[in-house]
Amino acid sequence: MSTGTLPSTGTPADSSAVTEAITRSTWSRFRSLIITVVNLALFFTAWQLLALSEVINPLFFPKATDMFSAMYHGFADGIIGPQLLHSVRNFTIGLLIAGAIGIPLGLLMGGVRIIDLILSPYVWAMTALPRVALIPLLILILGFGNSMQLTIIVLSAVFPMMVNCMEGVKTVDPSLVRAGRIFGANQVQLYGKVILPFTLPFVISGINQGIARGLVGMLIGELLGGGGKGLGFLLDRAGDQFDAPMMYATLLLLAIISVGLVQGTRWVERRAAPWRTFAVA
Amino acid sequence: MRQATRQATREPRPQTGDATDTTDTQEPLIEIRGVSAGYENKRAKTRLIALRDVELDIYRGEFLAIVGPSGCGKTTLINMIAGFMKPLEGTIRIGGKIVDGPGPDRTMVFQDYAVLPWRTVYNNVKFALENRHPRPSKAAMAERIGHALELVSLTGFEKSYPYELSGGMRQRVGIARALVSDPEILLMDEPFGAVDAMTREAMQAEFEKIIAETGQTVVFITHSIDEALTLADRVVMVSNRPGRVKEIIDVDLPRSRFDEGVKRSERFGELREYIWSELQAEALGAKTGAER
Repeated sequence: MSTGTLPSTGTPADSSAVTEAITRSTWSRFRSLIITVVNLALFFTAWQLLALSEVINPLFFPKATDMFSAMYHGFADGIIGPQLLHSVRNFTIGLLIAGAIGIPLGLLMGGVRIIDLILSPYVWAMTALPRVALIPLLILILGFGNSMQLTIIVLSAVFPMMVNCMEGVKTVDPSLVRAGRIFGANQVQLYGKVILPFTLPFVISGINQGIARGLVGMLIGELLGGGGKGLGFLLDRAGDQFDAPMMYATLLLLAIISVGLVQGTRWVERRAAPWRTFAVA
Repeated sequence: MRQATRQATREPRPQTGDATDTTDTQEPLIEIRGVSAGYENKRAKTRLIALRDVELDIYRGEFLAIVGPSGCGKTTLINMIAGFMKPLEGTIRIGGKIVDGPGPDRTMVFQDYAVLPWRTVYNNVKFALENRHPRPSKAAMAERIGHALELVSLTGFEKSYPYELSGGMRQRVGIARALVSDPEILLMDEPFGAVDAMTREAMQAEFEKIIAETGQTVVFITHSIDEALTLADRVVMVSNRPGRVKEIIDVDLPRSRFDEGVKRSERFGELREYIWSELQAEALGAKTGAER
C-alpha cells in the first residue's frame, strides 16, 4: 500500500498553529521573588522586635539574630555540618531504596491482580499505621544504630509510593488501552507507550508523598532512636541543653530542606506531565 | 439485491479490486453469524445479554451505519469486530478468517478521541505506524503522516499537544491516526458524539469527502438518524437490549449528501421518518427497561 491512497482534500495548508511570544515586564518577572524577600525580611524583623521586648521568656524564644549567629557558628565550628550530611545521606539512601522497592511493586500490584490480592492487606495496614509505633520494635530488632534510622525512612516512604503507583496503573483510561491494542501495540509496547506514561504523574506524586513521609521517618528515627547522629539528634540535644538559638536554627534548616524538596518535586511534576495542569475538558 | 444498489452508489476501493470480488456475487468482507454477546456479573452470577443472534454482512467499500437506542449493544458489536472481546456464541469472520484479536486490517476512531495526551499531534498519528512489523522507514512514516494530517486539515499543528486543541481538532487527530496506516476497515464508535453541533456538521461533510477518496469499508456507530442518513450507504437498525438486527435500509440518496437539497429532499425526510418510527418503540422500551 502506498501513501498515494491518502489524497489531499484539496484545501491548502493555510491553517497553522499560531503562537505569539509574550513579553513580560521586568517587574512582573521578578514580582514574586521581590514579594518573598520583603515578606521574609518583615517576618524576621517582627521576630526580632518581639524577642527584644521579652514578652516571651528568651529561654524559649531567642532573638532572630541569635538564631542566625547560632547557625553560622554551628556551621563554622563543624557542629551542624556532619549532622546535616548524615541526615541528608541517610534520607537519600532511604528514599532510593524505597523507590527501588515501592515503584516496581506498586506498578506490579496495579497490573497483576494476584499480586495485588496477596500484597494489598499488608500494604494498606502499613500505610495506615503511624510509623512511630514501629520504633520500639525496630530498636529491639536493629538496635540504636544507623540501620534502624535507615529502616524507618524506607518504611515511611515506601508505602505511599506503592499505593500511588498502583492507583496509577489501575486508573489508566480503558479507551487509551483499546487504542493501543487496535493500533498494533503488543503487551510490552502497551506498557511502555501507554500504561507507564499515563502512570508517570502518579509515580511522581507517590515520590512526593514518599519524600514528605520519609522526612518524618528520618526525624522520628533520629529523635527517638538514640543513634546520636543527624539533625533530629541536634534538635534533641539543643533541647536538653536549653540552647534555644540552636534549636530554632535546626528547625529553620529542616524547614528549608522540606520546602526545597516539595517545590522541587512539584516542578518535576509540572514538567513531566504538562497535560495534567490543563483542564482536559 | 442489496449489493447492486450499494455498488451503484459507490466504487469499491481500488486496492482490493484485484481480489476475487470484482463480480457482482461479492463475498462479504465481514460476516457476522449468530453472534450473541454479554457481560458477566460475577457477584450476581448472572449474564447481561447485550446482543442476541446477530446476523450481518458487511461488504467491501461500503459505509455501514449502525443506529439504535443507547444501551442496545452497538458498541459491543463494534468492540467484537475490533477484536477487543469475543462473542459468547456465533462467529465474526473478516475476509474468511475468524476474528481473535485486533489486526492491522482494522483501525478505530473513538468517541472520547483516545489520543495519547503526552504525545504531539504528529507522534499520535505516528503511533498507528510505529508498532507494526515491519516498521516503515522514518521518511516513509513522515510522508504518510503528512498526507494524513493534510487530509484532516491539521497541517501546521504537528507539534501541538492534544490539550492545546479543541475537541473537534482532537478528533481530527483520531481520524488521521486511523487512516494513516491505510487500513481496510475503519471502525467508528460515535466519533462525532462528543463534539459540538456545528463542528459535527462540518466534520461529517469533511469526513464524507475523505472516505469518498480513501475508500475504506466503514462501520459507523451513531445514535443520530440524521448522521446515519447523511453518511451511510446502508443503515442497520438495532433493537433494544438484547440487541438484534431489526432492519437494514439502503440509503438511496445521491452524493454528496451535503449538497443543497439532498438533506431537504422528500426522500431524506421519508427515510428519517421511517427509521425514527421504527426506533421510537425501541427507545421507549429502553426507558421502561425495568419491566423486563
